[in-house]
Amino acid sequence: MKKTGLIVNPIAGMGGSVGLKGTDGETYKKALELGAVPTTPQRIEDTLVLINRKDLYFITAPGKMGEDYLKKFDFKYDVISTIGKETNADDTKRIVREMADKGIELLIFVGGDGTARDIYDILGLTTPVVGIPSGVKMFSPVFALSTTAAAEIINNETDQFIEKEVLDIDEEAFRAGKLGAKLYGYLKVPKNPSLLQGKKEPSNVSKPEELSKKEIAQYLLENIENDALYILDPGTTLATVAEKFGVQKTLLGIDAIFNGQLVGSDLNEKGLLELIKKYRKTKIILTPIGGNGFIFGRASKQFTPEVLKLIDKKDIIIVATEDKISRLDCLRVDTGDIKTDNKLQGFVKVITGYKTETLIEVK
Amino acid sequence: MTTKLHMNENPYLPAESIRKAAVKGMENVNRYSGLKYLNELKNLLSKYNDVAADRIVLSHGSDLLLRELINVFSKDRKIIMVYPSFFPVAQYALKQARKLTKIQISPPDFSLDHNLVLSQLDEPALLIIDNPNNPTGKILLDYDLVEKILQNKNALLLVDEAYYEFSGQTFAGLIEKYPNLAITRTMDKAFSLAGLRLGYLLTGDNFKHHFADFPAYLSTPTVFAAVEALKKPEYMSAAVGKILREKVKTEKDLATAGVRVFPGKTNFSLINTKIPDFAVKLKEAGILVKDLSDEWLDTYFRISIGLPEENELLISTIKKIIN
Repeated sequence: MKKTGLIVNPIAGMGGSVGLKGTDGETYKKALELGAVPTTPQRIEDTLVLINRKDLYFITAPGKMGEDYLKKFDFKYDVISTIGKETNADDTKRIVREMADKGIELLIFVGGDGTARDIYDILGLTTPVVGIPSGVKMFSPVFALSTTAAAEIINNETDQFIEKEVLDIDEEAFRAGKLGAKLYGYLKVPKNPSLLQGKKEPSNVSKPEELSKKEIAQYLLENIENDALYILDPGTTLATVAEKFGVQKTLLGIDAIFNGQLVGSDLNEKGLLELIKKYRKTKIILTPIGGNGFIFGRASKQFTPEVLKLIDKKDIIIVATEDKISRLDCLRVDTGDIKTDNKLQGFVKVITGYKTETLIEVK
Repeated sequence: MTTKLHMNENPYLPAESIRKAAVKGMENVNRYSGLKYLNELKNLLSKYNDVAADRIVLSHGSDLLLRELINVFSKDRKIIMVYPSFFPVAQYALKQARKLTKIQISPPDFSLDHNLVLSQLDEPALLIIDNPNNPTGKILLDYDLVEKILQNKNALLLVDEAYYEFSGQTFAGLIEKYPNLAITRTMDKAFSLAGLRLGYLLTGDNFKHHFADFPAYLSTPTVFAAVEALKKPEYMSAAVGKILREKVKTEKDLATAGVRVFPGKTNFSLINTKIPDFAVKLKEAGILVKDLSDEWLDTYFRISIGLPEENELLISTIKKIIN
């Protein structure tokens, strides 16, 4: 039997739908106040149901950090350690250390960049890991592309591993108006690159990129429709668009404008739903994540399936610099709702400049 | 010594008689190449392609023809291209186009969505499609799609058939029927004349008029060598045969070494490998391959098929890198 650790960060991803940028520290309480619900149970269960190996012997954390999900299936497992009502990064680190002491050969974890950092702090490159993405920020390419991809990686046993970066957003750069990710360390992951996320590459802030963004902004300005609500994704491209529209946009948040006026700032799911219901016509302007091409289901988790159900596919305007789009093999969605994902799939137009566009498939 | 597997060149020298013809061209190099020889070259190309000689335009390299076509025919129409495609042309189109639509083809099969292409023809358009595609090697077009495009009066279709001799597929037979078709070809690849740069264009009626006064003064060594090469095409056919056989073997060896190979119809292979710094490590070992991450996707590389010993060196070097 292969000793396999399973640890779940039960609060990872909760900040997303309520417009927070993570669940670190006190932010978690704010997420709860704003009505956030856990997203990790579904992610881990979607993965476990697809695991067909019979030789895994799980060592897991109690309750919502692991045991609650394993007990719904037929796996053999041991529960170690204890947790309180509320969990935090220290719990993750402490339990992973205990798992390592018990000689796990593989660790499956569910969480976001913060969880990956905690695991790196304990394991470094000693034990291979499979990351099931469930955070708000998932810049790190250690994560599987989806729950299905995670299960496939686990099912295909291999003795070949590669090192993948553990990244997190560079808060200082963000405050300075640049979208950057900084290296924190490396984790060892099974060698199955096609199932792993690409590194979310920072948009280049050199002059040509800036010109490209200005062209996109000019094109959108000339084609903007009156009496329509425009919801703007985070990021530097959209910040340039907002500037062209004459409004000051938050860099990390989702904002909304109507007839040239900012009508919503740093919106969460609830705020988005209220605005969409209030205005007759709504369009979303967004940009894919560089490196992996996700348009929904990763960074801007406020765009929940509930929100997207109210938006017509033709009203989703995708923009990206020429450089970013030419380095993507496709766009991706993983909203957690298969019907919503299906609606968004197929070829879409991406505006890449004043006179240029790319037709690319959403998968 | 460097092994050059990064520019899709033919690893075999042209036949000795062809090289001698080029040298003979040097004898009168103080004079412009005469119309007599240019016409002889056009007549031989006409026979080789089964296309009337007055539909053939000569140039030093097909890139110049592609640029000219973009300059002239994209003024009042949008350009539609596939991405990735021959990067210098893609970059030039991006620079010159009044309006540009790129259609992304994606791994693993890199196929072109035919209905998507046809849906883009609601306004005047110049479609530029390399077939087979560079760098994927994929055949993107078939007769059904090409004829549907050409039946649309909004469309001008330019097919780059630089690798025709390797793919065996051409639309030259449609040149008489459809005025809105043009095809670029080259003798750089299959005919082993990369250093002499002989490209040519096959023109449908809509393009023919513009090129009536296109300057065609090629260098005499180029004309003489091309004439000799076309008089003895069997030498080219034999080299193409050797390359294609080597390709099958090399691709099999690459796959065995753990590298993913995508099927294609050219004298190069598209591969995907996550080996860190793959191209850098090969370069350190004296082998040049095309790292496609500069213009396109990380972990994708294009490797020309070389001489048997060059391909063996490539495989053994890759195995060493992996181990």
